[in-house]
Amino acid sequence: MNHKTRTSLWAWLWVIIGALYFFVPMYGTFDFSLRMIKGQISLEAYRVIIGDPLFQEAIVFSLEMAVITILISVILFVPTTYWIHLRLPKLRPVVELITLLPFIVPTIVLVFGLIRTYGGPPFSLTNTGETTNILLVGGYLVLSMPYMYRAIDVGLRSIDVRVLTEASLSLGSSWWDVILRVIVPNLRVAILSGALITFATVMGELVLADFLVRPALGPYMVEIGKDRVFEPAALTIFSFAINWAAMGLIAFFARGGTAQQITGR
Amino acid sequence: MAFLEFSHLHKEFSGSIAVQEFNLDVEQGEFISFLGPSGCGKTTTLRMVAGFELPSSGRVTLAGRDMTYVPPNKRNVGMVFQSYALFPNMTVAENIGYGLKVAGKPKTKIKHRVDEMLALIHMENFYGRYPGMLSGGQQQRVALARALAFQPQALLLDEPLSALDAKIRLELRMEIRRIQQQLGITTIYVTHDQEEALSLSDRIVVMSQGRIEQIGTPYEIYKTPSTEFVASFVGQLNLVPVKILDMEAKQGQLGEHIFQAGRLAEKFSPESPCLAVRPEEINLGHQDGHNNLQGKVESIHYLGSIVRIRVEVGEAHFLMDLFNDHKLIMPKVGENCNFNFPAEACWLI
Repeated sequence: MNHKTRTSLWAWLWVIIGALYFFVPMYGTFDFSLRMIKGQISLEAYRVIIGDPLFQEAIVFSLEMAVITILISVILFVPTTYWIHLRLPKLRPVVELITLLPFIVPTIVLVFGLIRTYGGPPFSLTNTGETTNILLVGGYLVLSMPYMYRAIDVGLRSIDVRVLTEASLSLGSSWWDVILRVIVPNLRVAILSGALITFATVMGELVLADFLVRPALGPYMVEIGKDRVFEPAALTIFSFAINWAAMGLIAFFARGGTAQQITGR
Repeated sequence: MAFLEFSHLHKEFSGSIAVQEFNLDVEQGEFISFLGPSGCGKTTTLRMVAGFELPSSGRVTLAGRDMTYVPPNKRNVGMVFQSYALFPNMTVAENIGYGLKVAGKPKTKIKHRVDEMLALIHMENFYGRYPGMLSGGQQQRVALARALAFQPQALLLDEPLSALDAKIRLELRMEIRRIQQQLGITTIYVTHDQEEALSLSDRIVVMSQGRIEQIGTPYEIYKTPSTEFVASFVGQLNLVPVKILDMEAKQGQLGEHIFQAGRLAEKFSPESPCLAVRPEEINLGHQDGHNNLQGKVESIHYLGSIVRIRVEVGEAHFLMDLFNDHKLIMPKVGENCNFNFPAEACWLI
């Protein structure tokens, strides 16, 4: 057996071990979720969940929050990142450091900070459900910031921002034309990948929604897990499916692009 | 008043002078090249016309209007970039029509104009293609069409052919000139390639270290360079230190040879006088009435239609370019040879 074949076999061995480590528990969970009716394989647990009004409320709420977070995130980060690339390139390392903060500051600290700062006067944002949603979206924006910024940053690096901007301006474009007609269309894949990662993050997020007492999917999953057996397993598979669907869509729309453009890493 | 005026233009970047005391009047329809080595300030000057750089002092006037601080999207000048800068998300037609679209022109007018421009650049069949499907030369044609489609007052080109191979560069060079002459648009062309500048321009501005060295027609720049820099940057040049015998008579001495020069350069430096003569002006053999010298053949280089011979005369060296035709009798390396050049073909610098 030559060196190349030996290396290839080792590589495959580790792939198989990794895959088993990941897929065996998942298979076990999936199998368990199908056994709600004794002695049968059925989708009963899924039927119960989907029919639960609390689940419907939770998923609709989380979807709304995800869409709002994505929209605000795109409106906020695209022009900002563009401007940094164009006019303030020396600030990039500083901004990159700032976008890493959500990885360093635990979400529990974030949510307590939000409640302390905005819960009381003059803001009093925790007084009603609607105003608490503002805090929730703000928290989601912070959590999704590393992914959205990085995705857009990588997208901007793959195009010659300065020259395209100058070409557009020389043809009489306003700054909005430059961003909307030239820059954003060339960032479609980057924005989409950032949006899908944000979507997956929001849909699966627990701490913010739980401590702000909002009817999101994360707290619902915890609640279900307290006194049910098969339904939490079904919800886990459901949650995985949402994430994989998001990743699959990124891969689908980014075909032909680089891996960096897809994940922002 | 000239169509495009540069008045005492000056530009500094963090204390480093990029352009200084730049004065130029450009008439309508003129093709002007800014020629010089990298870092001489030619692109910076062009970008000040486009509005992408603000001058530290001075003024740029276009069609009687002070453009110095006008934003780039309000100047009505078209620009072609070295890297083409086509919008990857738009087709050829959409790229060309972009300037008209942002100006709010009706779709029928845009389509008509796009068709006109595609015909001008001979790319009628490329309407729906994306930039990624085009060659470099095709992309640059589309970039040119895009810059002209909205009928700008002036056209700026920043080394548009640098990224192309030699053959395409030659073809496109002629295209650019043809289109410019057909449309009669005032054009500023930045290049470091002297052949481009000489073949395309009505006038050339030779720059070095942020300053204008000389402004003139291609003939004037080549035949009567006013500074040592221009003489050596544009074309090959023999520049040989000599001793002046009679300044008024323009007579000098090189070793034991006495020679007659045709003129004194505009910026002649008496402290370190040099004899300047182009290699193509030198011929083998002795000729009455010419400056006749003798030297030893150091090397011979075949360049296809030209044979370049390097001859040592004392401590000086002369390059001579001879046509490689059937009449040429080649000397041998190491041999002594006579060579000559007319007085009118050389000057003191």
